[in-house]
Amino acid sequence: MQKNNVALRVTIATVVIVGTILYLAVTGVNANKSYYVTIHELQSMGNHAYTRHLRVAGNVEPGSIQREGAHMQFTLVEQGNKLRVDYGGGDPPPDTFKDNAQALAVGMYGRDGVFHATQIQAKCASKYAPAAPGAKPSETASMAQPR
Amino acid sequence: MKKILWIGLPIALVLLAEGFYQAIYVAPTEATMGNIQRIFYYHFPSAILALLFPYVNFIASIVYLSTRRSNPLRAQAADALALASAEMTLIFCSIGLATGMLWARPVWGIWWTWDERLTSFLMLWLIYVSYLLLRRFTAGGQTQTLAAVLSVFAAIDVPIVYMSIRWWRTQHPSPVIGGGPNSGLDPSMWPAVWWNLAGWFVWGLMLVTLRYQLERKRQHAQHLSVLQALETT
Repeated sequence: MQKNNVALRVTIATVVIVGTILYLAVTGVNANKSYYVTIHELQSMGNHAYTRHLRVAGNVEPGSIQREGAHMQFTLVEQGNKLRVDYGGGDPPPDTFKDNAQALAVGMYGRDGVFHATQIQAKCASKYAPAAPGAKPSETASMAQPR
Repeated sequence: MKKILWIGLPIALVLLAEGFYQAIYVAPTEATMGNIQRIFYYHFPSAILALLFPYVNFIASIVYLSTRRSNPLRAQAADALALASAEMTLIFCSIGLATGMLWARPVWGIWWTWDERLTSFLMLWLIYVSYLLLRRFTAGGQTQTLAAVLSVFAAIDVPIVYMSIRWWRTQHPSPVIGGGPNSGLDPSMWPAVWWNLAGWFVWGLMLVTLRYQLERKRQHAQHLSVLQALETT
């Protein structure tokens, strides 16, 4: 009797734990909660796009970075889709944030079509190439396309 | 024990010295990240070994669980190996986390983020912290069994860590080694990878062997003291 009781408890505990993990996994997939969204996904999200705190990935369009003090504006490009990003400042973006770099903007999508970022992160490529002789590192950027 | 130290330590030191020389002086400066990319030659070996030693721990734990009644002597040996490899995993896991964070701050602009790779790797670290705490602070005869069961969770987490950058979008880059066409190392960077991987592997192997022998001696001493106590009563 005592032994059955323990076995029953272990079974219930296992079912509860596995059930919770499965529930979280399934709801997570359904909500399409990825670490970041692409520009195309952001623009086809409809009204949800304006109400959620999001992370958007893209490549920085060359020449699009405009700085005014800590304030900064730039354009992210991903497979022909463009997104204007407005960054209010705070922490300066990392040194790797520059033309053509893969970047992530964290913030809210505004009704004005501009993404208002509270944080800028860069992504690094999975291809390592030597810097051209004599060139200052990070001037010969050749970043991989975002997946 | 001394033999392992006399053979293992010089080999490890020579490999690591050459690895350091290759990583810092020979390997070219990376184009987009600059010198900071050299931390890769330490981050990658530690992280990959942090995914290897959990399986030594796992297999030893399974041997312990299956033989603890039928062959207690073998089970004790397996348990000593499980403990040694768990401690080694925690060291490599910690180095992997630390080097990753030091690298992330200048390159990504953040120390940490909750993406799938970083989170699952932190879970591996937490599993082994709890494994060692469990072994240290629980009393009674069930400690080894409970620890062995915990190692199963680590063995489940390891493939998730490995596949996370293939299954999900992450802040962590997709695989550099064994990745797609848009990945890989310049051929001139490979020697630094191989020397360091070999060096840290030998270093880890040596520490696990030493720790295993130490734990066996402790088990033996404990066994003797139990026998003595029985004889005096």
